[in-house]
Amino acid sequence: MTANTPSDHDLLEMHRRMVLTRHLEEKLGEMHKAGRTRGPIHRCDGQEAVGVGATAAMAADDYVTTTHRGHAVYLGRGLDPRRVVAEIFGRETGYCGGRGGHMLVGDVETGMMGGNAIVGASIPAATGMALSMQLRGEARAALAVFGDGAAQTGICHESMNIAALWRLPVVFLLEHNAYGLTVHHSAQSSVPDLAVRAAGYGMPGETIDGNDVLAVYGAVEAALQRARRGEGPSLIEARTYRVEGFSTSDMGGYQPDAEIAEWRARDPILLARAALVDRLGAGRVEQCETEARAEMEAAFEAALADPMPAFAPHVASAPYAARPEGGR
Amino acid sequence: MATMRYAEALNLALREEMARDDTIFVFGEDIATYGGVFKVTQGLAEQFGDRVRDTPISEQTLTAMAVTAAMTGSRPVLEIMYADFLPLSLDALVNQASIYHYIWNEQVTMPFVLRTQGGGGVGTGAQHAKSLDAMVAHIPGLKVVAPVTPADARFLLKAAIRDPHPVIFLEHKLLYNLRGEVDEADDAVGEIGRARVAREGRDVTILATSRMVLEAEKAAEELAGEGVSAEVIDLRSLRPLDLDAITASVAKTNHAVVVNEGWRFCGYTAELAATIMDHAFDDLDAPVERVAARDMPIPYAEPLEREVIPGAADIAAAARRALA
Amino acid sequence: MATPITIGAAGGEYMESVVVTKWHVSRGARVCAGDLLAEVETAKAVTEVEAPCDGVLGEICAGEGDEIAVDATLGFLLAEGEDDAGAGGNAGTGGNAGAGGNAGAARDAPPAARPEAEASGGGRTDRVVASPLARRRARAAGLDLRQVTGSGPGGRIKRRDVEAVLARGPRAAGGALPVMLLHGFAADATTWSGLVAELGRGRRLIRPDLPGHGAAAPAGGGFEAVVAPLLEALDAVEAPRLHLVGHSLGGAVALSLAGARPARVASLTLIAPAGLGPEIDGPAVDGLCRATRPESLLPWLRRLVADPRRIGDDYARAAMAGRVEAVRAAQAALADRLFPDGTQALDLRSALAECPLPLRVIWGRDDAILPWRQALAAPGHAALNLLPGVGHMPHVEAPELVARLLRETVTAAEATGVQ
Repeated sequence: MTANTPSDHDLLEMHRRMVLTRHLEEKLGEMHKAGRTRGPIHRCDGQEAVGVGATAAMAADDYVTTTHRGHAVYLGRGLDPRRVVAEIFGRETGYCGGRGGHMLVGDVETGMMGGNAIVGASIPAATGMALSMQLRGEARAALAVFGDGAAQTGICHESMNIAALWRLPVVFLLEHNAYGLTVHHSAQSSVPDLAVRAAGYGMPGETIDGNDVLAVYGAVEAALQRARRGEGPSLIEARTYRVEGFSTSDMGGYQPDAEIAEWRARDPILLARAALVDRLGAGRVEQCETEARAEMEAAFEAALADPMPAFAPHVASAPYAARPEGGR
Repeated sequence: MATMRYAEALNLALREEMARDDTIFVFGEDIATYGGVFKVTQGLAEQFGDRVRDTPISEQTLTAMAVTAAMTGSRPVLEIMYADFLPLSLDALVNQASIYHYIWNEQVTMPFVLRTQGGGGVGTGAQHAKSLDAMVAHIPGLKVVAPVTPADARFLLKAAIRDPHPVIFLEHKLLYNLRGEVDEADDAVGEIGRARVAREGRDVTILATSRMVLEAEKAAEELAGEGVSAEVIDLRSLRPLDLDAITASVAKTNHAVVVNEGWRFCGYTAELAATIMDHAFDDLDAPVERVAARDMPIPYAEPLEREVIPGAADIAAAARRALA
Repeated sequence: MATPITIGAAGGEYMESVVVTKWHVSRGARVCAGDLLAEVETAKAVTEVEAPCDGVLGEICAGEGDEIAVDATLGFLLAEGEDDAGAGGNAGTGGNAGAGGNAGAARDAPPAARPEAEASGGGRTDRVVASPLARRRARAAGLDLRQVTGSGPGGRIKRRDVEAVLARGPRAAGGALPVMLLHGFAADATTWSGLVAELGRGRRLIRPDLPGHGAAAPAGGGFEAVVAPLLEALDAVEAPRLHLVGHSLGGAVALSLAGARPARVASLTLIAPAGLGPEIDGPAVDGLCRATRPESLLPWLRRLVADPRRIGDDYARAAMAGRVEAVRAAQAALADRLFPDGTQALDLRSALAECPLPLRVIWGRDDAILPWRQALAAPGHAALNLLPGVGHMPHVEAPELVARLLRETVTAAEATGVQ
C-alpha cells in the first residue's frame, strides 16, 4: 500500500485493520472486566485511524516506533493478530515470547520497532534509526508515533533539532488525543496546535484530522517520500481523541461526557465506513467487518490456547563472566 | 611495539575498527572538528568524514539514538564528555539499551559503545569529577569496562565495538596521558569479563578499577617495604565481573581490599565486598576492607578534594587493617 | 551473670594482700578461659591472674597500683552481650580451701554462673569471634575454637591463631580434645590452678566442682549422687571425646564416668584415687570436716602434703574462709556415707581392673591419706607413676611433673586414636 492514491482494495484493507484493532480493544475490555488480563492495558479506541493510516503509508523496509498505546500500529503494520494477542496474554507464541507484554511488542521483520512505554522515547528511537539509514546511504525512512504528552519532553525537542539539523529521514507523527494520562492538553502546553513548533526547527508541519484515515495516510505518505528523498523530517499533528480511559486501571471522571460524545460521533471507523459504503456498497463493507471480527475472535481463541513461556536466565545480563545463572 | 599515550591507544583502536567495518560511526560533543576535549577522536573526521559527527548538546537523545541505530544495522560509538553527564543518558540505558535483547526475545542485538570519562583529582568540581561506575554497572543488560593501561584501552575498545551488546566504556581524565607499550602489529581483541593480575602477591588481594589500579600498585609498593606482599587485580571489566580471578586470589591471600573511586555507600566496592562474601566467605581471614570516595559532593579546592577521593595511602591503610 | 575474677592460686600461700601491678586487657576485651588478665605482686614475685572462663571483661574493681586482700575480687567477666550493671553486687569474698589448698576464690555465685557452666549442663557458651577462614580450618582440624586465643582486632581469631594451636599439638589434624579435671574431697576446682599453669594454653579445660564442694549444690546421697551430675556434665561437653583426670574422690568419680561412657573418654588419669582399698586416714577426713577455725584446720591440711612447710597460717586462714558451715555440713554428711568409720565404703577395684582405656595412675609415695600401694590394683596396660617425696597432692606438690605425665597420656591417646 504505497501508491500515492490508495486503491479500493487499500481503502478496504485499512478499514479492515481499524475494525480488527477496535475488536481487539473491545475484547480486551471484556477480558479485563472478567479479570483475565494481566497488568494495565492501554486501549486506542477512537484513535485507530492514526496508527492504521500511517503504517499503511510505509514502505516495506521503513521502520516505525510507537507508544504504550500502540495496538493500531501493531495491526496496521500487518502483525499477526494471533501473535499480538499471544504477547498481550504473555504466551510463548507472542512476538516477544511473553517477555514484552502489550506495551513493548516489537517485530524486526516488519520494521515495527516497538511500542515504548517511556513517554517520548519513540521519538529519539525513530531518529536514531533514521541516522543509521542516512549514514549507510539507504533510501528508507523511519516513522515516530508519539502523543501530545510526549511532545512536552526534552527528548522531543532534542530529536527534532537533531533530525532537522542533519536532515534525517524521519517523520514525526504527533497523535494528539488531548490527554496526557488525566491531564488535558491545555494544562500541558501554551500552544493549542503543536504543529507550529515545526517552524522552529525549520521543518514542515501541519495539523490534520486524525480520525480521517485517508487524511492520515496522505500526510504521512507525503512526509515519508520527502524523507526518503533526503529532504529531512516533517511534523504531522493528527488530532484525535481517546474515548476510553488512559488504561484499564483508569477510574475516569476527568473527560467531559459531552466531549466524549462529540468524538464518538466522529468515530474513525464510522467515518471510514460511510465513505466506503458510498464507494463499494454496504454489503462488501459489512462482509469485511464481519471477517475482521471473526479473525480477531480466532486470534484470541488460538492465542489463549498457546502455552506459557518457560523461564530462562538472560546470559547477557549476568553480572559474572561465564556464569549465565547470575549471582549465586 | 610502540610507546603511546592512553588517548592515542584509544584513537588507534577507533581508526582500526572504523577502517575494518564501515557500519561503525562515532558521534558526540566536540569530537569531530576539535577531536574531542581529551583528543581521543583527533583526526578521525579527516579520515572517515561523515561517520564522525559533532552533535548538539543533547545527551539523552544522542544515547537513545545510539540505541536504535545499533538495533538497525549500525555500530555507533558515542562519546559522553564527562561521566557526570551519564544521568542524562540514563533513561536510554536503563529503559532502552539494556532491555531489548531480552524483552524482544533476542530479535535484536545492540552493538553500541558509550565512551565516557570520570574521576577527580584535578579540580574539575562537583559536576565534573565523579565516578558513577556503580550506577551503570547496576543495570542488567549492559557491560561496563574500565581499562587502565594503553594496551588494554586499545584491546578493550575494540572488544567493546565488536560486542553485540551495549558497553559502557569508562575512561579517566588522569589516564589519558599515561604512556605504555602498545604492539600495533598485534591485532588481538580484548576479552570483556577478564581481570588482569597487575601485581602478584601472597598476603592480601587488592581489587581495583580504573585509575585506582595505579594507586593500588603504589600502595602495594609501600606495603612491600613493610614485608607485606599485596596482589593487585585490575578488574578491567566491572560487569561482567571476573569472579574466578577474584575467588582464586582471595583463596590464596585470604584478605581482600576493594577499591573504587566512586562513592562508598551503595557503591561499587559494596558489590565487590558482597561478591567476595557470597563466593569466598570461607576463605576470608578478615572482613573485606573498602576504599572509596567519601559520601559527599566532590569539592573543588585541592586540600578538600584530596580528602574525598581515595589514594594509595588509604589503600595501604586498608590493607594493614585487613592484615591486623 | 558476671563471673568474679579473683587471685586464686596466684595469691600464694603466705599472703594476706597483693598489689595489682598491671592489667593486660582492658574493659570490653573478649577473653578466653586461661588468658592472662592481670599481674599481681606478691611478697617475692609477680604472678599472673588468668581468666576463669571465656567472656568479656566488665567492671575492674582493683586498678593498677591498688593493694587488695588475697580474696578480693579484681573485676568481673561478663558473658557475651551481658550488661555489667549490677555485677558489683556480686563482689563477694571468701574462699574454699580444704584439700585443694588454694585460698581466696570467690564462690558465692550460684552454680550456673560458674566458669565451668558449660560442664554443668545448662550454661550457654560464649560466642566465639573468628574469621570464616579460621572457622573453616578449625572445623577441618576438629579443633574447638574456644581453645584458641584470637590475636586479631577485638580478639578475633584468625587463621594464624588456629594454626598456632594446631602446631603445638603433635596430632593437630585429630584435634585437641578437652580435659575434664575432677577435684578431691573437701577441695574445689581451684585445686587445679598450679597444674593448669603448667599445662599452658591451647586446650580446653573443664573444671567442675563436685556436689557439696565449691559452688555446687550438696549431693544429698551417696557416691551415685556425686557421680550423676558429673555424668550429665560429661554428656554436655561439645566434643567427640574428652580426657578425664581425677584426684582422690574425683579419681573415683572419673573411674565411674569412664565405666559409664567408655566411648566418650579418650584417656583416664587417676591421681591418688579413692575406691581402691578400704584404708583411708579417717582422722584427717574427720578433722577437715570438723575444723571451724584456721588453727584446727592447719594440722589436717599439713597432713595432705609431704612437706608440711608448704602450708602456713595464712594459707589455713584463707582456706577456712571458704569453709562456711553449710559446706562443712554437706561434706560431713558425704564423708559419713563414703568413708564411714575411717573406711572407704566404695570399692572400684574391679572397675579399674577392667578399664580398657589408656590409663595412668599417679601417687605420692609419702601419701598419708590413701596408701600408694592401692595403685597396684591397676591393670597391666596402665602407666604407674609413684612419686618420691610427694604426699596426697601430687598436682599441687609436683605440678610440673604431673603436667608432663598428663601431656604424655593425652598426646599418646590422641595419636593412637584408641577409644
